[in-house]
Amino acid sequence: MAEITAFAPAIAVLPFVSFLVALFAGKYLPKKGALAGILAMGGSLVLSLLMLYTVATGHAHQSTLYTWVGGEAVPYELTFGILLDQLSTLMLVIVSLISFLVHVFSLGYMNDEDEGGLPRYYAELGLFSASMLGFVFADNLLMAFMFFELVGLCSYLLIGFWFREAGPPSAAKKAFLVTRFGDYFFLVGVVAVFATFGTAAFGGPGVEESFPHLAELALDGEASVNTFGFAPRTWFTIVGLLVLGGVMGKSAQFPFHTWLPDAMEGPTPVSALIHAATMVAAGVYLVARMYGFYALSPTALAVIAFVGGFTALFAATMGVVKREIKQVLAYSTISQYGYIMLALGGGGYVAGVFHLTTHAVFKALLFLGAGSVIIAMHHNENMWDMGGLKEEMPVTYYAFLSGSLALAGIVPFSGFWSKDEVLFETLIHGLGDSPLLLGAYAMGLLAVFFTGFYTFRMVLLTFHGEPRSDTARDPHGVRWKVKGPLAVLGALAAVAGVINLAPVAELTGAHIDFLHSWLFHGPEGLNGEHYEELLEGVAGYHAAYPLGETLTMLASAAVSLGLALAGAGLAVALYRGPEPVEHTDKLGALKTVLFNNYYQDEYQVWLAEGLTARVARAADTVDVSIVDGVVNFVSSLSLFTGDRLRRVQTGIVSNYAALLTLGLTLLLVAFGVMQGWFL
Amino acid sequence: MITPEWAAAAPTLVLGVTALVLFAFDSIDPESSNNPVLAGIAVVGSLAAMGVSVAYLVAGVGDPAVELYGGQLVVDGMALFFQVIFTSVTALVALASYDYLEDMRHQAEYYILLLLAATGMSLMAAAGSLAVGFVALELASLPSYGLVAFLKQNRGSAEAGLKYFLIGALSSAVFAYGISLVYAVSGSLLIDAVAGSVRNAGQPGVLGVGVLMVLGGFAFKTASVPFHFWAPEAYEGAPAPISAFLSSASKAAGFALAFRVMTVAFPIEGVVGAVDWVLAVQVLAVVTMTLGNFAAATQENVKRMLAYSSVGHAGYVLIGLAALTGTGDGGLVLGAGMIHLLVYGFMNTGAFLFIALAEYWGVGRTFADYNGLARRAPLACVAMTVFMFSLAGLPVGGGFVSKYYLFAGAVNAGVWWLALVGAVNSALSLFYYSRVVKAMWIEEPAEGVDVSSYPSTLYAAVITAAVVTVVLLPALGLFSGFAFDAAAAVLF
Repeated sequence: MAEITAFAPAIAVLPFVSFLVALFAGKYLPKKGALAGILAMGGSLVLSLLMLYTVATGHAHQSTLYTWVGGEAVPYELTFGILLDQLSTLMLVIVSLISFLVHVFSLGYMNDEDEGGLPRYYAELGLFSASMLGFVFADNLLMAFMFFELVGLCSYLLIGFWFREAGPPSAAKKAFLVTRFGDYFFLVGVVAVFATFGTAAFGGPGVEESFPHLAELALDGEASVNTFGFAPRTWFTIVGLLVLGGVMGKSAQFPFHTWLPDAMEGPTPVSALIHAATMVAAGVYLVARMYGFYALSPTALAVIAFVGGFTALFAATMGVVKREIKQVLAYSTISQYGYIMLALGGGGYVAGVFHLTTHAVFKALLFLGAGSVIIAMHHNENMWDMGGLKEEMPVTYYAFLSGSLALAGIVPFSGFWSKDEVLFETLIHGLGDSPLLLGAYAMGLLAVFFTGFYTFRMVLLTFHGEPRSDTARDPHGVRWKVKGPLAVLGALAAVAGVINLAPVAELTGAHIDFLHSWLFHGPEGLNGEHYEELLEGVAGYHAAYPLGETLTMLASAAVSLGLALAGAGLAVALYRGPEPVEHTDKLGALKTVLFNNYYQDEYQVWLAEGLTARVARAADTVDVSIVDGVVNFVSSLSLFTGDRLRRVQTGIVSNYAALLTLGLTLLLVAFGVMQGWFL
Repeated sequence: MITPEWAAAAPTLVLGVTALVLFAFDSIDPESSNNPVLAGIAVVGSLAAMGVSVAYLVAGVGDPAVELYGGQLVVDGMALFFQVIFTSVTALVALASYDYLEDMRHQAEYYILLLLAATGMSLMAAAGSLAVGFVALELASLPSYGLVAFLKQNRGSAEAGLKYFLIGALSSAVFAYGISLVYAVSGSLLIDAVAGSVRNAGQPGVLGVGVLMVLGGFAFKTASVPFHFWAPEAYEGAPAPISAFLSSASKAAGFALAFRVMTVAFPIEGVVGAVDWVLAVQVLAVVTMTLGNFAAATQENVKRMLAYSSVGHAGYVLIGLAALTGTGDGGLVLGAGMIHLLVYGFMNTGAFLFIALAEYWGVGRTFADYNGLARRAPLACVAMTVFMFSLAGLPVGGGFVSKYYLFAGAVNAGVWWLALVGAVNSALSLFYYSRVVKAMWIEEPAEGVDVSSYPSTLYAAVITAAVVTVVLLPALGLFSGFAFDAAAAVLF
């Protein structure tokens, strides 16, 4: 069975082949490359499931595929390799599943709508999936970084897919530049990891030296690494935070979140892919991937938790006032990834991965649902022009409702279980010896209320009440290619929570927290159990249960459910009925602030235009006046000297004879003096 | 080895005999206007000499060196290598002259002088004693004076010839005086024998003055500062094929003699106490490069620009001597100098022959007169573009590789600043070389120039030079071994 892992590279190679096929032969194919993509993703999905099974039977796997720098003379090896463990195979399944469904959905969204440039679309989609899958099974940080960048590139291409319009190219550039800003830090971090540990391997079965492990040994004084004069713990925190820069850019965490709402300019299936499984997920996945490293630094964890909690709340408040359905979803994505970060920072590794999983499902569902609505609405995204779509498109409605309930965190939908666990883990660790976490927890908790509110506002405005426009009264029908993926995801969103029903397990004593057991049985150094030891032993995280374990858990669940219901209830109260009205005016001055997204864009634009452009202009002035000045001076000096030299050539031969003799004499005298001939 | 031994001097003999054959033809049929026969004899003779020297080089006749007449002549790899340069340039020039001399008088004399000068150069490369070197240098120089003044009715040509002669006489005097001083110290004129007795010789002042004056003689022949004054005027006034001949072959001959005498007769580690001639050459190299290129940059006349660029290239080749500091691989840098002269023999000859073509057409002499020439003669202009870029050191021709070898050799010998000056000068040279290209290809053509005829042999010579220049870029990888081995054999 172990040999099956030899096929693992094909998981990323298949979509890459579909990229090539769509790129070079797409226009000759019946569906312009869609079928190649679907086949490739189907293959990847099957292979991913096989890998999952292989790992489940105890065959976690790591192998180096290609060493491109190495040998005796260089201190490190730079390699491409594959790491298949519990975390990466789970993620492979998620990514290939979502990508497969997005490909199918695209048949309905792109092909049936007669969009142009389809081969390009499917080529980019294939490359996007291939990059993400490569990123997921990367066995070292450098390879991860390379695929991370490819993911960034593909999202740039896809967001700017309709490059002839005004918005998409600008949004694509913004996404590229903002994430690139974070990636600078990531790149420095990768170099720092190499300089410090001499290896960037994540670990895995058979890997003797991995950087999280070396860091752990170094803290215990059992290994010496180059920490550049810092105390090891300080230095590891610095390195961790550098890498975190890339994570925050990709996962759209405050203050790098501004690119994500603009990224809605891309085709909606792409948005689904970006938000659920690829681009944005890459960031938090990286934290989970090298969790053994972050667990060594309580400071880095606290930063992660705070950034996560703050982002969760901050983005949720902005989602409250948006008019476009995709904008609401965009802010919800930022907010939900905030939760995942909160979980990882708060010591809930399993909770974080759990929420990553459920979120991937329900967010893909919501986006595809939104895509279906957008098809029906002839590409009008304004929710105030919708209404009453429930009767016209029941499949979409029920699937969307399932996703919304999950997003809002209403029991028993999947989102409830994962979000509850996130908050619970943060709470108990906060109540332990880490009171700082309680602040992050409070923000996360408050965000639950807003999440419930904006989710149900969206559902009510879109599907309930009377139609508020002609297109809403007579929507465009959608076909199976759209409904199929929605149905699959709708069902999953409702039930995906069963993979980790921790509260139920706690109450009944039955071992049904499958994800927990799954992640706790990873390869040595890469499993939840090890992380928990590190959190306790090194980072000083302890769990505390002031009401006893069961009661604390129930109380926590009750509070978050209560807040979610309260938010949802408020939304229902405000926007119920056939003719809902806007209530945003009641917010007064706050409304303007929220509509302007807390002026985040403004200051970033100022950073780009006011500061960077000015510095660039100053540099340009220096270049033009001083550097060019020197160059021009040299050239005019050359021409001037040349002109003088020309005049020496007088044309009078006796002058030449004199100069010749003079030159020779000069040479003779100089050497005579120097060599002492005349002494 | 070769038997009989005198056969080793065959390239020189073939050239000399060709000159005599032309002489005989001229005696039988004086004032002949049978141009094809004259040009044909000259071309065949020089090609035969080239064939012999290439065959010798490949067959390894010069390894070990063949000494003739008690060491008065030395035929080794370096001599043969230089003879290949001289003979190929002579062949190209003789070929091009067929059209250039159309309807002119005294054609037989022209070819005789050309072949005699080539014989002198060939002897210079093989000179084993200072006396032979001096006589050979005069044998090369005297016909050259006559050739420069060949256009007797043209004031510029006559004046240039006279100036060249006067400066040449002065330089020869300096050179002869230098030889006599060296003889005074060493008691011998044979280069090998001189080497033996100059080590820690008694009168360092006398030796030092002698060595520097000998160096002055070489500087004249190679058109290096401060003995370069004749060059711009002679090149400008002479018939263009003769300019090509002088600036390529004659310069190479000067270097051939200089390389042998300086490295063999005055090994630097032996005479450094008396005179650090490597330092002197370094000074000359820097001054020559800089002056040549700077002066070239301000010229308006294309032929004069090429004349100054030729001075600049003498400066590059001087690096071959200037980098013999004792550190690094001397054979590498000396061989690089030889290779540059080989490439230069084609690219510079080609450039001057293009000028000859322009003169044949009656196109003016300035850059502006070349405007739009590419539309009328695209093939020749492609060739000229190759010459210009190869001279500047861009990788379209062998000039790139040879310059690279030179600069690399300089860095290898620890005189990186010499390479730096060379590189800066190369960058400057790109400016004025590309002016020609720009004028030919980009500028609007001037009115009134009629390119109606396409002189076949002149064209053939230009195209051959261009093809060889391009082919040398990859071929130098194969060829350069001969130069490096020959240089190393001379040094050790």
